[in-house]
Amino acid sequence: MADREQFLAHVRERIQSSGARPHEHYQPTVAPDSVWTPSRPRPPVWEPSADELPERFLAELRALSGTGARVADETAARDYIIELARHKRATLLVRWGDEPTDALGVDAPLAAAGTRVAVWGRDADARALCATADLGLSSAEYAVAETGSLVLVTSPERGRAVTLLPPAYVAVVPVARLVPRVADVIAHYAQAGPLPASLCFHTGPSRSADIEQSLAIGVHAPGEIHVLLVG
Amino acid sequence: MARTTTPKPARQRDTVDTRPTGPEHAGGDFNARGRAALKDEFLHDSLAMAQTRLAGSRTATLAALPDAPELRERAYAIKQDVIAHLDTYLERLADAVERASGHVHFASDGADAITYISGIVARRGARTIVKSKSMATEEIELNHRLEELHPGLEIVETDLGEWIIQLRGEPPSHIIAPAVHLNRFQVAETFSQVAGEPVPPDVEDLMQFARRRLRQKFLAAEIGISGANFAIAETGTIVMVTNEGNGRLVTSLPPVHIAVVGIEKLLPRVADLSVFLQLLARSGTGQKLTVFTNLITGPRRPGESDGPEEFHLVLLDNGRSQILGTEFDEALYCIRCGACLNVCPVYRQVGGHVYGSTYSGPIGAVITPLLKGDAAAKDLPNASSLCGACWEACPVGIPLHDLLLKLRNRETREGLAGRDQSLLFAGFAQAMAHPAAYRLGAAAGRIAQAPFISAGSIRRAPRPADRWTGTRDLPPIAGASFRDRWKEGI
Repeated sequence: MADREQFLAHVRERIQSSGARPHEHYQPTVAPDSVWTPSRPRPPVWEPSADELPERFLAELRALSGTGARVADETAARDYIIELARHKRATLLVRWGDEPTDALGVDAPLAAAGTRVAVWGRDADARALCATADLGLSSAEYAVAETGSLVLVTSPERGRAVTLLPPAYVAVVPVARLVPRVADVIAHYAQAGPLPASLCFHTGPSRSADIEQSLAIGVHAPGEIHVLLVG
Repeated sequence: MARTTTPKPARQRDTVDTRPTGPEHAGGDFNARGRAALKDEFLHDSLAMAQTRLAGSRTATLAALPDAPELRERAYAIKQDVIAHLDTYLERLADAVERASGHVHFASDGADAITYISGIVARRGARTIVKSKSMATEEIELNHRLEELHPGLEIVETDLGEWIIQLRGEPPSHIIAPAVHLNRFQVAETFSQVAGEPVPPDVEDLMQFARRRLRQKFLAAEIGISGANFAIAETGTIVMVTNEGNGRLVTSLPPVHIAVVGIEKLLPRVADLSVFLQLLARSGTGQKLTVFTNLITGPRRPGESDGPEEFHLVLLDNGRSQILGTEFDEALYCIRCGACLNVCPVYRQVGGHVYGSTYSGPIGAVITPLLKGDAAAKDLPNASSLCGACWEACPVGIPLHDLLLKLRNRETREGLAGRDQSLLFAGFAQAMAHPAAYRLGAAAGRIAQAPFISAGSIRRAPRPADRWTGTRDLPPIAGASFRDRWKEGI
């Protein structure tokens, strides 16, 4: 078993070893590949106004075979979810128990429509039920317009399995939580103190091209994703 | 629509061939494997299609990035800093993981890592392990060794392509498309054996079968083992990118998560991800981001009811530290995107298995002799046209062609090149250094080559030139030399 101090001392010794021969380093951008060539014609930098973000997000998500819609308010979001559950004849929906997801008020109308709701962090069997649920429902910290990504973080009320195990998954995000780029999200969390146990960029339905390079959707995680932008 | 799967804790064991698949177990030598691969027509079509598809969308998405050249410069600079101060960053990483309630183990080699992991398997009484996204565990033959140490333990690769090749007992043939050498009929045959009933050779049916089967394994597993694309020193975070979602399942559902990560995968800060995440998926598959980009920091927090209870980070050396402080250290900058495979003319012809190594393509030809020693992989640096397409494609700017040349040079210094080759090049050097000897040699060669020319090239030459013609055609010496033609005014 390697002792930590020994291991690090060995690495240090190697870096500083007399065997180290200084060598000329290549300049990465002298490669003739056009994408790395500084003098190539550059596409304009995308500087979106806040109005452009929802449209771009939905276009990116649709390009990934996801489904998205902009809805006026939480009531419209709730109606969308209830209609989806009805259409799918869903018998079980699992959802996060965080404040934004609670605020949708889906539990009673879904129960009335014959869909049982299990709430993460409140119902003891929520975790076990994720494996058999027809639908998952959550909020998201951010949505990224450039890529069509949801940014999901964990807490006692926000479980990973809700967004992973059901075959179909719905996320509800206020329009105000849209940011242009992945780099904006990284820059935020780089400043925001300790990271949650899990921070995930979830970008469209699960996909695989492992069999004959043919696209297959939904191989492990949800194959069907609905994102509702509220506001 | 009601759900179609009924997951239940599964204890039946799928037929899995666990013969080790490392280089020393691959059949024949490089040339023999290469000759066999050249005859495989499906492989050819499949590789050509994969390269065209992946390299094409790579170029399109990177070209759409206004600051791609600057990102590449920054990626190189960040990796240069990491490798030059690796001891400091490793220490920071280990401290940060421990602050986040994770465990860190420094493993000098594969045996060390396996002993540590085996201890966890025993302590937890694990019977099923699910795995995802780990070339490092492939490198140390973790599956085979653990199953030897723990009879009855089932280890399941959960990436669809990885699972297929695991069931078939084959090594991966591409960093990001491990089963690219197989067609759907071969996959259906394998799945039918596992199912004990016919599974139709239809991509959707095959995928659904894999989803049902692997879902049972995810729910039953006591341990999840993954690799990582990056490990962030500042926060102790490991970053994993996947498209299928298996990476997120492996690291979220089982009560124990073990990440096996090469020591070169470090990044100093969370902020550095904005550089590398923009480059990684675009370079590998031409996606802007993969479906799942997971940042995992330690085990689940108090009050949380999923995510692992225990998180272990195994930092693997296994030969990597021997590359530090040498002229080859840029090989450690690699982020395993696969871009160099997708542009390599040699890889395009033969595919990944011919390399006989966990890592194939140009980066495999560089990293394998560095990790395993030149004697174990002496053909690999020579299996290149040195065209430099790999270097051009590399999002971190690793001069792969240059490293290949330096490795050939090292082989010669170590006397691995063979007497015939040394003799041949000694003669060539003499001729090039002395004009009279050059003219004489060329004149003699013009006469001597005549019986060996067929269809415009020399395909078979006597010793020592057979070292060349054994694997390549040799263009014959021209009837009139450039110097003669120049004198005559061309």
